Amino acid sequence: MRIATSQMFDRPTAQMATLTQRADAIQTQVATGTKFRAPSDDAAAFLRLDSLKRASADDTSYAANIKLAQGLLAQTDGTLESVETQLQRAQELTLQAANGTLSDANRSAIAATLSAIGDDLLALADTRDSRGQPLFDAGDPAAIPIGQGNSVYATVSRERAFGDMIATIRSLSDALAAGGDVSQAASQALAGIETGLDGVTAARASAGARAVRLDLEADRLSDVALQREESRSAIEDTDIPAAIAELQKTLTVLQATQASFTKLSGLSLFDYLR
Amino acid sequence: MSDMLAIGASGLRAYQTALTTVSENIANAGTEGYVRRSATLKEVAAPGAMNTATVNCLGVTISGITSAGDIYRSAEVRNAGADLAKTETGAAWLERIEAALTGGKLGDRLTQFFNSANAVAADPSATAPRAAMLEAAASVASSFAGTGAALAGAAADLDASADAAVAQLNSLAAGLAKVNSGLGRAAPGTSGAAALRDQRDQLLEAMSAISDVSASFDSAGRATLRLGGSSGPVMVQGDQAGIVTYVSNGEGAASFALHANSETVSLAPTGGALAGIAEGAQRIAAARDRLDAMASAFTSGVNAVQANGRDLAGNPGEPIFTTGDRATDITVTLSDPRGIAAAVAGGGVRDNRNLANLATVRSSGGFETGLADLVTENAAALSTRRTVGEAQAVIRDSAVGARDAATGVNIDEEAVDLLRFQQAYQASARVVQIARETLQTMLDIR
Repeated sequence: MRIATSQMFDRPTAQMATLTQRADAIQTQVATGTKFRAPSDDAAAFLRLDSLKRASADDTSYAANIKLAQGLLAQTDGTLESVETQLQRAQELTLQAANGTLSDANRSAIAATLSAIGDDLLALADTRDSRGQPLFDAGDPAAIPIGQGNSVYATVSRERAFGDMIATIRSLSDALAAGGDVSQAASQALAGIETGLDGVTAARASAGARAVRLDLEADRLSDVALQREESRSAIEDTDIPAAIAELQKTLTVLQATQASFTKLSGLSLFDYLR
Repeated sequence: MSDMLAIGASGLRAYQTALTTVSENIANAGTEGYVRRSATLKEVAAPGAMNTATVNCLGVTISGITSAGDIYRSAEVRNAGADLAKTETGAAWLERIEAALTGGKLGDRLTQFFNSANAVAADPSATAPRAAMLEAAASVASSFAGTGAALAGAAADLDASADAAVAQLNSLAAGLAKVNSGLGRAAPGTSGAAALRDQRDQLLEAMSAISDVSASFDSAGRATLRLGGSSGPVMVQGDQAGIVTYVSNGEGAASFALHANSETVSLAPTGGALAGIAEGAQRIAAARDRLDAMASAFTSGVNAVQANGRDLAGNPGEPIFTTGDRATDITVTLSDPRGIAAAVAGGGVRDNRNLANLATVRSSGGFETGLADLVTENAAALSTRRTVGEAQAVIRDSAVGARDAATGVNIDEEAVDLLRFQQAYQASARVVQIARETLQTMLDIR
């Protein structure tokens, strides 16, 4: 078979161009660290990567919400703890006030303290959260979404945290200040404060349970993120040692092609005709 | 003895022509489309009486310049070229679609939009997350518009390139008709005729890259060109060339028509760039339709959720997006972050339950997965085209190799011919000299 002279140049040119392209593609893979330049490089892998990327973006937004909810719950718990302390003090004072042997001066001192506790509770009830919003607002708080179809209440309602506690304490304090027989008022207040304490304890327990749930959810998200990152890396990342070996192989073949082309193209019968 | 002189002279003439042909071959060793030529030598013999010692041979002559053209292998190159051009053109437009669909990062921005709603849900009464959500909405709108515009640009470029391809095909056809008329006038067996045949084959090859063609040749080498197979409509016959036109209806249906012999026939090219263009037009239109449908479903879904909810002022939400028939029409109309309707009716400023409906729109609408599917389908088609294209390139290369083996110039071979004809020329000159000297011997007799 005759090899046309033009073929002797065209074919090696095309072959060397192919090899250079291949080397360039591998070099890009190594430099960018990813195997893909476009979805068409591997359509199935693109689809998987796309869903991984979307899930990871979703989880990032959920993780931000979880962090916010965790902060709110911690603040709720801390505030409710203060409320609990204040209520316990109020309970002790009420027990003292119910004691019929106290002098009027003692009673008015207790009244002043109870009134201060009432003010403190009011201040606690008006606590603002990290976003500048009332921590204990009237009505049910908004449930914060922390996953697909998964949400959490990060605070408790004002009614649930405080009930009519402040009014109870205030009316007892007023009764003590007015003097006279306070046993009726004290026993009523005692019952009210006990109910209130029960409510606060229950609210703290519930907030604690929710905080645990959030911690678990946050752990789950970071575990899933790790797994997802592994899958992503397996699909997308360049296997550097393999890529380098392949690049070396391609370059060796390219060099050999260049050398053999130079030799072959240098051969001509005309060189020997004298 | 005068015969000997004539014979020597004929040799000189013949080998001069042969040497010229070899030189022509060497000079054109690198010329695209050049077919190796050879001078056919023939003995000139006059009929003479048998059994006489009379020499009635009159030397040698060139009976013609033949070129090594191989019509079957050339046809194979044309067919392989048409297949390859179709695949490559189709793949180029699929690449355009891929770039258009992924360049705007529409999927990422949709995800970002829906996730920004999550942030609003975490803190419905604050304005900052709402402002972020509106920004995300604006970036979705611009991404829809940008993706739509990229596809529209691809469609416009496709029209332009179809017009250019058709114009090129028409000018090639006109060129072929001219070559045909030249072939009709050229004396057969001359290097002029050979050059015209080379031109003819080059034109045919260039045309086969644009559309699938089949050619038949008459004895003078004039081509009759049919588009799309041996039973297709005739585009070039003799010195008459038809005209191909391209019409796009703007909805992805590209149609081609051939006007020849005062008749108009519609064409459906199955090979060459035109077939790739027709396929590309269809795919671009399909991608645009799907993007438009997605944009309209997305905007109307989001706006419906808005309308059902209540904004911070307790009013039903105003639409976030303006909608239109095309993805490019989408813009954001809502400018006040407080206007995002996070709450349900009667829910108050700290309510976020309406945003759960947005999450429902997201999952039931499946915009992000729909877009990913669109990209994946296109990518799968593109990677198939690439694989097919690689195989077709190998087929075409081997067809070209087979043809060039038959028609190409090998310099070493020409060097051998050059030596052979040079020696023959020198020997013929020697014959002339001997003839002269022999005659001189006669004249010198006193």
